[in-house]
Amino acid sequence: MKPDLSVVIGGIKFKNPIWTASGTCGYGEELAEVFDLSRLGGMVTKSITSNPREGHPPPRTTETVSGMLNAIGLANVGVDRFIKEKLKFLERFNTRVIVNVAGAKLQEYVEVCAQLADCPRADMVELNFSCPNVEAGMAIATNASLAEKTVSEVKKVFPRPVIAKLSPNVTDITQIAKACEAGGAEALSLINTLIGMAVDIETFRPRLTNNTGGLSGPAIKPVALAMVHKVYKAVKIPIIGLGGIRNYLDVIEFLLCGARAVQIGTALFVEPETPIKIIRDLEKYLSRKKIENIQELVGQLRIY
Amino acid sequence: MKKVVIENAVVIKRDRLNGDCRSLTIGNFPKSRLLKPGQFVHIRIPGPDVYFRRAFSVYDINPRAKSLQVIFKIVGRGTALLAELRKGDRLNVMGPLGKGFDFPFLRDKVILIAGGIGMPPIYFLAKKLIESKYDRRKILFFYGGKTKKELVNMAHIRKLGIKLYPTTDNGSYGFRGFVTKAVREFLNTETGQFRIYACGPQAMLRAVEEIARKYSIPGQISVEAPMPCGMGICQGCVLPLVSGGYTRVCRDGPVYQFGEVLL
Ligand SMILES: Cc1cc2nc3c(=O)[nH]c(=O)nc-3n(C[C@H](O)[C@H](O)[C@H](O)COP(=O)(O)OP(=O)(O)OC[C@H]3O[C@@H](n4cnc5c(N)ncnc54)[C@H](O)[C@@H]3O)c2cc1C
Ligand SMILES: Cc1cc2nc3c(=O)[nH]c(=O)nc-3n(C[C@H](O)[C@H](O)[C@H](O)COP(=O)(O)O)c2cc1C
Repeated sequence: MKPDLSVVIGGIKFKNPIWTASGTCGYGEELAEVFDLSRLGGMVTKSITSNPREGHPPPRTTETVSGMLNAIGLANVGVDRFIKEKLKFLERFNTRVIVNVAGAKLQEYVEVCAQLADCPRADMVELNFSCPNVEAGMAIATNASLAEKTVSEVKKVFPRPVIAKLSPNVTDITQIAKACEAGGAEALSLINTLIGMAVDIETFRPRLTNNTGGLSGPAIKPVALAMVHKVYKAVKIPIIGLGGIRNYLDVIEFLLCGARAVQIGTALFVEPETPIKIIRDLEKYLSRKKIENIQELVGQLRIY
Repeated sequence: MKKVVIENAVVIKRDRLNGDCRSLTIGNFPKSRLLKPGQFVHIRIPGPDVYFRRAFSVYDINPRAKSLQVIFKIVGRGTALLAELRKGDRLNVMGPLGKGFDFPFLRDKVILIAGGIGMPPIYFLAKKLIESKYDRRKILFFYGGKTKKELVNMAHIRKLGIKLYPTTDNGSYGFRGFVTKAVREFLNTETGQFRIYACGPQAMLRAVEEIARKYSIPGQISVEAPMPCGMGICQGCVLPLVSGGYTRVCRDGPVYQFGEVLL
């Protein structure tokens, strides 16, 4: 019998727990040239803001040991064009679309989400409370009461589930997690990138024009696992785990630590077909372990 | 919708060229026939401390053998590891990626300008023009290097039967001086309907665009920037556009019209 990979989050069913992460799959157009997006459980689109943003001057990315630093600067087409062109493009795929939203202040999140409320293709929104590359993003990421207020205000205008995406760049991630839960978030996703730096010793300059950037890739997986587990113990709402996932083994680690679904990020840049391989390998693993439903693994970590 | 293929390809031949340059012929890439001049492949380099793929312009293809060839210069960790691969070694190749060159009008005199390791896409273009029945006598290949050592595979270019103008900065081979100086001197004595294609260091491309402006010659350049994804997703390899905003070199380029990108 084929194992059941489906999961339910915020009352919405996903055919499998494998999503692609915001900023690492664009709006789907490029990845669709590599594989059929309908095979994904979900896809989180690049952060959008009220107005289009060009992003930071290059260089915006640099390779690091087992990962990368990025300071793209939330380059995006803006919500109007996103709805008209990008969401329309995604209509042809049978996958869940989670629209990631970023804002300079609370009001921007509310405005963008209000516009998305009328777009049924936006199955959910994910609030990027964590972008380390724009100053305003960090304000909400590190302020529990502001995070709670933002979620609850968005809940008033957006009728479908709301996910809050958390930053690891805080003293206690469970405080922000609990605040978002109190604000009415249906789920939490974590982690976004860790603030980092790389230096060119010839020019004495940082390798990114933004000076610092967000670290992602395999290098951050242990941090992400620890945070997922900590938050899992602190809240009741489902967690979507991400950070450095490359293969099905990584996914199972996240599930055991408490994630109900996961997102694949930077790995897509190296191996765009990663999600497809993971889905296939997860089926094999579950069959071998005689596990009927993947949900049985969630939070099954046996701590010392 | 599937346009980009990712293959576990295999090294079928490797050659040490002059200086730090190497050639790799890569087999088991069934879609090699789809690769166009100016397009590139994104190669995953097996080994520690090389996380992203590395981009290489296509130098040549052999559709019947399902193979492609790249020429590269050792400049860092990735290319050093690539140089160590042997016949039979596997490597993962993704492509075709990027936009290639637009072909010229048949009546155009085509000036090809290659600087250093910018030669591969220019050679591939020359070869495809000839295969497409462009007049050999109307194709001129200016190929510049710092020294003679930097000029590789001259025999291949000669075999195309087109006029080759080698240049070296120190005069160790061919014309002495920058390749763009040779082009300028050529244009001072020739007339006709020209079109220019160029690939090389940024300073060379800037000089090429200056010449093109002065003589009102249309054409294209191929540029490079370190690229994480190579597919247009991450927006990491952007360059500023003259008209404002940024362009993704991997997807909107790497080939651009003169005057499009801010060099
Ligand atoms: C579209 C495209 C086509 C290319 N075609 C060729 C080719 O045909 N032959 C060839 O030899 N090289 C080509 N390059 C450049 C090649 O990708 C880089 O030389 C290679 O990525 C360097 O990897 P590395 O690990 O050896 O160097 P690293 O250790 O990563 O870096 C060494 C130096 O190279 C620079 N560098 C790194 N990556 C790139 C990059 N992608 N583009 C420009 N500079 C870079 C770094 O800033 C550094 O100064 C091309 C690049 C692009 C974008
Ligand atoms: C180039 C790049 C761009 C990103 N853009 C966004 C973004 O716009 N919004 C967001 O919430 N996260 C963004 N992220 C963060 C990822 O979604 C993810 O949280 C992070 O990279 C960790 O996962 P990974 O290690 O699997 O990549 C970006 C990451 C990268 C590498």
